[in-house]
Amino acid sequence: MLKQSLVRPVKHVLKNLSILVLLAFAVISQPTFGAENGGPEGVIIKDPGSELWRNVRQRQFAETNTQMKSVDANILIRTSGESWRNYRMNELIPRAGGALFLGLFGVFVFRLLRGRMNLPEGLSGRKILRFTLNQRVAHWCTAILFVVLGLTGLILLLGRKFLIPVFGSEGFSYIAVTAKVLHDYLGPAFAISLIFLFVLYVRDNLLSPKIDLQWLMKGGGLIGGHASSDRFNLGEKGWFWIAAIVGAAIVVSGLVLDFPIFGQTRETMEYYHFIHTVAATIMIVASFGHIYMGTIGVESTFEIMQTGYCDSNWAKEHHDLWYEKVKDSAINGESASSAVGSSQKESTDTA
Amino acid sequence: MATMKFYCDAERCIECNACVTACKNEHEIPWGVNRRRVVTIKDGEHGERSLSVACMHCGDAPCAAVCPVDCFYTTDDGVVLHDKDICIGCGYCFYACPFGAPQFPENAAFSSRGKMDKCTFCAGGPEDDHSSDEYKKYGRNRLSEGKLPLCAEMCSTKALLAGDADMVSDIYRKRIINRGASVLDWGVNYDKAKLNS
Repeated sequence: MLKQSLVRPVKHVLKNLSILVLLAFAVISQPTFGAENGGPEGVIIKDPGSELWRNVRQRQFAETNTQMKSVDANILIRTSGESWRNYRMNELIPRAGGALFLGLFGVFVFRLLRGRMNLPEGLSGRKILRFTLNQRVAHWCTAILFVVLGLTGLILLLGRKFLIPVFGSEGFSYIAVTAKVLHDYLGPAFAISLIFLFVLYVRDNLLSPKIDLQWLMKGGGLIGGHASSDRFNLGEKGWFWIAAIVGAAIVVSGLVLDFPIFGQTRETMEYYHFIHTVAATIMIVASFGHIYMGTIGVESTFEIMQTGYCDSNWAKEHHDLWYEKVKDSAINGESASSAVGSSQKESTDTA
Repeated sequence: MATMKFYCDAERCIECNACVTACKNEHEIPWGVNRRRVVTIKDGEHGERSLSVACMHCGDAPCAAVCPVDCFYTTDDGVVLHDKDICIGCGYCFYACPFGAPQFPENAAFSSRGKMDKCTFCAGGPEDDHSSDEYKKYGRNRLSEGKLPLCAEMCSTKALLAGDADMVSDIYRKRIINRGASVLDWGVNYDKAKLNS
């Protein structure tokens, strides 16, 4: 409505104007050619140069051709590269660096405040199978690839700022080219590994709203007190789904960037580079929490992913609902360590 | 100290691609790598123009800014060059460059990018002038011999200008004064135009 009422008078004015212009034209259009610059005098002609340069800067659609066969070769000036430069240099590098620093700092502060989370009743010596061999292999493949990819990615992102002053330009070039090759070749392996990880872990990581909400209300026992949970608590489930969803984004965008031979345009590459870097920063920062809790943060946790067995007191303390289901399968510590190799086969489907 | 620049006069370029060929030949550039290319706007329509484009040797070069290994440098002549011994072939300079100048030979495993190659303003690279290493990696070093880039020197219509920015703009300014902004759209009355330079 508003638009129409505005358009009508404007149209009117335009109509009158055009008549005026036509009249004026009739009066002065006795063109005198052969003026100094060769153009007709007295008639204002739009500078053809301005149209040319608008076309050159791709600000209006004009068909452009070239004999070169490469992607985007017919584009003369592409301005979006400048936004990508600004993103990478002024946003990504300082913000990703800041996020990593804050993540490490957060883990450090948590450690200072909470200390190591110990088992109040100590170790019982009775072992319960928690991760099958397949699950452990999937975990460690993904974990090792993740660490290598994360470190090489960070070398390429932040190395110019922090490593060139240390190793010099040539020294850093060797590091960077190694990092790039590892990053390029291990990326697809990470994709496969992540799929196995997802399939092997998804069942117990499905949300169970009642238990998870209770766990959340109690702060997950992170601040103190006890929060009951099934095989995986909400914190572990959160990390699993970050690995699955953010990881999928990293993998898909990474594969697009990894193989620049399918005619991807520079715009496509810039777009997926944006997704790749944001997702990777989220995942690396989140991984600090997981790595801390899985190694030095909680008593007797690291050996579970090593051996596959957890102490029954550990299960009671951290995963009581799961413990109730599996406590009958507990075995003695020594037989557990000797059973690690032999009993895996039949127990791959349990737990 | 000069500031070297290219300028392509769209009123003169006839899309002969001789600059492209001269460049390929002078520097023995492999297939698939195009340090220079000619782009035609509105091919076959009214207002058709062609421009020859290569690395424009920017003052604030985006390639140099985003390079993760900092392999770019600007010479005293204002020419932006890079060190292929340091380049890792990541392709970031190609994403950032507005002109599509950086080129990558697909010679590494799985067709991944090799080391970047681009127009050197015929100024070689960081190696010793006229060494065989320099020639293999970057092509001929004409600037050190007092010659300008071959593409511009052999341009038959003198559409492609190369040299110190002030001199290039002086030449172009004189052309504009004599012919106006465009000869192709208006048509020039050659009898009365002052063709004094």
